[in-house]
Amino acid sequence: MSAASLRLAGNDIAHRFGPRVAVRPVSFDVSAPGVVAVTGENGSGKSTLLRILCGLLRPSRGECVFEVDGCAVEPRRRRLFTGLATPELSFYEEFSAAENLAFAAETRGLPNAANAVRLALEQVGLTPRADDRVSAFSSGMKQRLRLAFAILHEPPVIMLDEPGSHLDDAGRAVVEHIVQTYGPRALVLIATNEPREMALAEQRIELSGRGLERTA
Amino acid sequence: MPNSGSNSAVAVWSVLRKECRTEWRTRYGLNAALLFAVTSLTAVSFAAGRLGNRTDIMAALFWIVLLFATLASMSHAFVREVESRTMLLLRLVATPTEIAVGKLLFNLLFLCVIEAVTVPLFMVLMGAPPVRWGQFLAVLGLGTVSLAASSTLVGAVIAQTRGRGALFAGVSLPLLLPVLAAAVGGTREMWAANSVAPSLKLLGAYAVALLAASLLLYDHLWED
Repeated sequence: MSAASLRLAGNDIAHRFGPRVAVRPVSFDVSAPGVVAVTGENGSGKSTLLRILCGLLRPSRGECVFEVDGCAVEPRRRRLFTGLATPELSFYEEFSAAENLAFAAETRGLPNAANAVRLALEQVGLTPRADDRVSAFSSGMKQRLRLAFAILHEPPVIMLDEPGSHLDDAGRAVVEHIVQTYGPRALVLIATNEPREMALAEQRIELSGRGLERTA
Repeated sequence: MPNSGSNSAVAVWSVLRKECRTEWRTRYGLNAALLFAVTSLTAVSFAAGRLGNRTDIMAALFWIVLLFATLASMSHAFVREVESRTMLLLRLVATPTEIAVGKLLFNLLFLCVIEAVTVPLFMVLMGAPPVRWGQFLAVLGLGTVSLAASSTLVGAVIAQTRGRGALFAGVSLPLLLPVLAAAVGGTREMWAANSVAPSLKLLGAYAVALLAASLLLYDHLWED
């Protein structure tokens, strides 16, 4: 992993889905290494903002800057530099945890996919269940698998959307461990309203609005 | 950067292997397609007997059986990803073009497996006259590529829309009609010992056009 000179900035970013406002205008400028909390009420657009930042969604307004070593990274290539764990992420139920991660690692072209999978599963405490099919996993175990997916390729930007959801105390400790491990060498964004997760961050991007309003 | 070594061929191969493994484990598409091919050919065989002297009807029947046996399964290549909510996973590990080409190759492979069962079964049950294999395989190959390319393209386009089922039929029809017309015509002329060159030219041009349009379009799929 290389966190050298990575900058992520939003200049008046806003997004709407039809008449519904998803993200109210927000500006920020953060760089690696560091831990940043993205906070805001339910429906204020935390998840949408993360999707915009990792290039999955084009903002309706404003500009997103994603720079690595001073070079702008176009939206479709941002996934290469980003690890995203979000509740919207699902895995192939007919595959085991290890097979799902191996597929992701091989498709991303990681040179030592098997080792990357082993390390990622170790870090989230899923090694004993590595060969079990995902269909047999509890919600908490699926959440751990999402975390493993996000750190699998050791990206310079890690985005954790509600990372503690469905997790027990041991699972929340895994989240803290990931943030403490990767925070000093990568840019970690945590979309959350949990005080315990917010306390892990050094900076904060506050989103306004509830996302329930409609405009004409 | 950690992923700079990632290249498209590796991603396409990985998507293809994933598709094969998924199909092998669930066997939903394969079983349904084979069941349709075998039952429809058997039913026609019982009802109409051997059609050895009606090469026009045989040519149409052959392509209808192939089309309906495979189309439902092939269109699900993308729909399944959306319905099981795994599309996000795919989009995070590969580009739309890599995903689509991997699925296109899987659809081609899928069609070849179905054809490996359907062709001999058809020849035996329908009492088909001797086949000129070079011409037959050329028509079959180009028709297969066109079928796979059109169903993959339509599947990709409709995957994230509402009312996918109805939309698939509507969007597929204009894309599939030229393929079917040329493939049926080529197969009929092959059995009639006439030249299949016009049908081959049409199928070849259509396959190239479909593949080129697909490669241009895929990278803009799913842009929000």
